[in-house]
Amino acid sequence: MPRNRTVRLAVLGSSVQRAAPSGYPSSRSSAVKRRIVVGLLVLASLVLITVSFRSSALDGLQGTGATVLRPFEIAADRVTRPFADTIGWFRGLADAKSENRKLRAQVAELQSQLILDEGAIQENVQLRKALDYHGPPSVAEFTPVNAAVLANPQNAIDQSVTISAGTSQGIVVGSVVVEPTGGSDGVGALVGTVDRAVSNVARVTLLTDAESAVTATDLTNTGVVGAIRRGSGSSDVLILDRVPKQAVVRRDDTIITAGTLGEGPLRSKFPRGIPIGTVSSQSLSDASLFQNIQVKPLVDFSSLRSVVVLVPPKQP
Amino acid sequence: MDALKAAVILFVAAILQLSVLTEYQPFRTGSVVLVALLAVALLRGSVFGAVAGFLTGLMLDTATLGTLGVTSLLLTVAGFWIGRYGETTARDRFHAPYVSVAVVTVLYVVGELLLQFMLGEPAPAALAMHGLPGALLLNLVLTLPVYAVIRRLFPPLELGDRVREVRLLG
Repeated sequence: MPRNRTVRLAVLGSSVQRAAPSGYPSSRSSAVKRRIVVGLLVLASLVLITVSFRSSALDGLQGTGATVLRPFEIAADRVTRPFADTIGWFRGLADAKSENRKLRAQVAELQSQLILDEGAIQENVQLRKALDYHGPPSVAEFTPVNAAVLANPQNAIDQSVTISAGTSQGIVVGSVVVEPTGGSDGVGALVGTVDRAVSNVARVTLLTDAESAVTATDLTNTGVVGAIRRGSGSSDVLILDRVPKQAVVRRDDTIITAGTLGEGPLRSKFPRGIPIGTVSSQSLSDASLFQNIQVKPLVDFSSLRSVVVLVPPKQP
Repeated sequence: MDALKAAVILFVAAILQLSVLTEYQPFRTGSVVLVALLAVALLRGSVFGAVAGFLTGLMLDTATLGTLGVTSLLLTVAGFWIGRYGETTARDRFHAPYVSVAVVTVLYVVGELLLQFMLGEPAPAALAMHGLPGALLLNLVLTLPVYAVIRRLFPPLELGDRVREVRLLG
């Protein structure tokens, strides 16, 4: 290769006159245009973040957008549901036999338990009436609203789902959300709370979110009261925190919402008795004042399809 | 015409991502939207990529009732940067989409963590980093079919359209 061959020659295959130093009008204008466009888009994003984060000025617009997108999300889900169900069916075949045996034994056990429970419930109702007892809110006081899950958590950090019901159905921020099939007695198991609601769509912060915490108690020992929150490791394990070392908590105990009584805004928004999970491990350590209790949630947060929102009764 | 095609592709990818794919745990870490956007940006340039990223992010934030602008900002930067890479050095290199997806997947997770942290939202870095290898792998696996489809829909531009953007030195 000749020593005097220029880059231009190498690229274009022929010699080209060098442009004046002030040249490159087309590439310069294109570069300026490019920078302006990306600058404006970044600026628009920052403005959106600021407005959306600091005020509710864009909520109406966002609600309309979410409502417009809702039919597409439902349609996509319906179209793909048969395929998903087929995969689920094949997956279920693998452990169907052993699960069937286990469930039969469980049914027999629960039937005898049910007879005892029904008697206790009747007695409880009569005694509450007789005493004019005002306890924590119960599930029966809330109006259930069924909703489909439109969007599951979008990434590892995100611990929220979007559901197909909103303020039009009476849902308000703070409404408690349960999974219809998660718990026993038809109560459902706790999923989380509504943290944002627009006309026909709402966002639910899951119990596995770092900012979620619920006062909970042990079903077999209601003297045990602690706070259920996300564990530091895997998102499918919760922690029952703040339980004193003296309290008796056993493995496989069912943990339910405590629904503590409070005054005014401090009144618990969680009705008492919503199942959360079962104790998977319990230990004590000298370094901590409280027990280390791990709880396995009854809800599979990774595959929520439908939920029930408990709409609170209107305050007088 | 390209804008319409890109809008349809990214809309379908976003709807699939939102309501179908994220039902399965592995797809919570990977993102078909990100892969599709990077493929479009790589083939159509920085401005196209940035605008597509902004609008796709806006749609995702709207649908999930998230803080508007967060995903837009991340996808705008991702689309612009990969578009620029496509305009300059990537050309028709086989590895370009894979390199783009790998680098942007890592930077996207870091950027998202940073934004969450700056907004005072929970930003569990350990959790995000724990899911990163899975995200990387899944996105790279998705790159092959997604890029093949998008390349078919967006044939590479003529050489003349691209070299306009390159400043000759020497």
